[in-house]
Amino acid sequence: MTGVPLPEFDYMRPLTVDELSAILAKHKGEARLMAGGTDLIPLMRESVLRPKYVVDVKGVKELHGITTHDGGVTIGAAVTVNEIVESEIIRKKFTALWSAAKELSDQTLRSRATLAGNICNASPAADSCPSLLVLGAEVEVVGAHGKRKIPIAEFFKGVKRTALAQDEFVKAVHIPNQPAGAKSLYSKWKRSWGEDVALVGVAALVSGKKVRVAMSSVAPTPVLVPEIGNVFYGEGTLEEKIEKAAACVPGGICPINDVRCQAEYRTHMAAVLTKRVLRELLGVKK
Amino acid sequence: MMEITCVINGAARKIAFEPNEKLLHVLRREGYFGVKDGCCEGHCGTCTVLVNGRPVKSCMMFAAQAKGKEIVTIEGIGTVQKPHPIQRAFAEEGAVQCGFCTPGMILSTKALLDKTPNPTEDDVRNALDGVLCRCTGYHRILNAVQTSAKYLKEAKK
Ligand SMILES: Cc1cc2nc3c(=O)[nH]c(=O)nc-3n(C[C@H](O)[C@H](O)[C@H](O)COP(=O)(O)OP(=O)(O)OC[C@H]3O[C@@H](n4cnc5c(N)ncnc54)[C@H](O)[C@@H]3O)c2cc1C
Ligand code: FES
Ligand code: FES
Repeated sequence: MTGVPLPEFDYMRPLTVDELSAILAKHKGEARLMAGGTDLIPLMRESVLRPKYVVDVKGVKELHGITTHDGGVTIGAAVTVNEIVESEIIRKKFTALWSAAKELSDQTLRSRATLAGNICNASPAADSCPSLLVLGAEVEVVGAHGKRKIPIAEFFKGVKRTALAQDEFVKAVHIPNQPAGAKSLYSKWKRSWGEDVALVGVAALVSGKKVRVAMSSVAPTPVLVPEIGNVFYGEGTLEEKIEKAAACVPGGICPINDVRCQAEYRTHMAAVLTKRVLRELLGVKK
Repeated sequence: MMEITCVINGAARKIAFEPNEKLLHVLRREGYFGVKDGCCEGHCGTCTVLVNGRPVKSCMMFAAQAKGKEIVTIEGIGTVQKPHPIQRAFAEEGAVQCGFCTPGMILSTKALLDKTPNPTEDDVRNALDGVLCRCTGYHRILNAVQTSAKYLKEAKK
C-alpha cells in the first residue's frame, strides 16, 4: 500500500483568520482543513476523504499559542498536543487535559497533532474529549456569518460528526477556571504500553461534592455520565459512593465490539477506571 | 507541480513535487534512502526525520509543509567512516539487527539528548515511543541511548 499516491488536491496555506474564512466560504464542501494531518492523511490515503483543497491552518499566527486570562485558558487551533504537555498551567490547573495529552498517540506524532484536530475529527476514542467534557470547555468557532461559542457537550453529533457548518472552523478551545481545590484526571486503558487508541478512557473532575465523569470509546461520541454526579450528594462513605458511581457506568454508555475488544470488556473496564480515577482524586485508599 | 526551498542536512535545497506528495516519498526520490517507508500511516516511525530539531514522521507530513524548514535525515548524522557518537553506541551495544528501525531510533535519540543530556529511563522510553522495533526487544536500544549520552558528554569535554 505504501506507494499508492494520495488523491490529488491543491495545497493552500492562509496566513490570517480572515483569509482562512474566505477560503472556506468560497470552497465550502471542497476544502478540508489540516492542522497536524495525523487524522486527515490516513483518511485521504484510504480515499475516505477526497478534498479538492487542503488548507493548512498552521500558517495562521492567530491560531497559535496557549494564553491564560482571568476566565481560564485559551488554546489556539494550531497548538500541538506536545505544547499542552509542556504547559505548566495546564498540568497544574487542568490536569485531566494534561494527562490526556500525555496519553494521546506517541511522542513524535504529538509534536504535530493538535487539540483542535482531535475534537474536529470527532472520533469516539478521541483522548482529549472526556477531559474537555468534565472541565466544561467551550469551542470558539468562526464562520462566514460570524463567531459563536459551542459548549463542548454540544459539539459532538455522532461518529466523525460535529456541530460545525461547512463554512465554519475552530479558532480556539477555552477552558474555564475551576473552583479552588478542584482536581481532575484522565486514565486510558489500552492494549500495549506504547501508542494505541483507547479501549476505554475515563476523565473525572472533583470539586467538593461536585463530581463529573466522562468517557471515550464507549459510545458514538465521547460522553458525560451525569448520573454519577448525583451519587456524591447522597448518603454513605466515600468508598460506598465510589462503588455506586461505578454501578452507574453500564447504564450511561453503549459500547461496541470491534477489532480491539468486546463491548462487555469495555463496560467492565469503564467501571474499573471510574473507580480508580475517583479513588485517586478523592484520596481514598483501597 | 510546486517548488520550495528548505535545508536538508545543512545544505540549502530547492525541491519540486506535487501537492499530494508526502515528505517521506520526496526525500526518498531525492536520494535520502535512510528515510524508510514502513507503514506509511504514522505507526512504525521508521520514516522519522528531524524538522527544526523535532522528530517528525515524514509519512504524516506533506512535502509542501517543509517550506523553509531545516530537515535532518540519518544521512546528515554521520557516515560509516565517521559515525556519530550515537551511531557508534548503537553498533557497540548490539542495538541494530535488521536495521530497519535504526534511522528512526537514532534520530529520536538525537532529539532527546540535544535537549536532555542526562535522561532517565522514562525519558528514553517516552522519546522512543514513536518507533517500533521488531528485532531487538528494545533492551539493547535502551542501553545504547544511555551509552550515547555518555559518549556525547565525553565528546564535549
Ligand atoms: C498512529 C496514530 C496514532 C494515533 N493515536 C491516537 C490516540 O492515541 N488518541 C487519539 O485521541 N488520537 C490518536 N490518533 C488520531 C490523531 O492523531 C488525533 O486525533 C490528533 O489530535 C488529530 O489532530 P491533527 O492536528 O493531526 O488533525 P488533522 O488530521 O489535521 O485534522 C483532523 C480533522 O479535523 C479537521 N480540522 C482540523 N483543524 C480544524 C479546525 N481548526 N477547524 C475545523 N476543522 C478542523 C480536519 O479537516 C480533519 O477532518 C492517532 C493517529 C495516528 C495516525
Ligand atoms: S512509515 Fe511513517 S510511521 Fe511508518
Ligand atoms: S532492528 Fe530490526 S526492526 Fe529494529
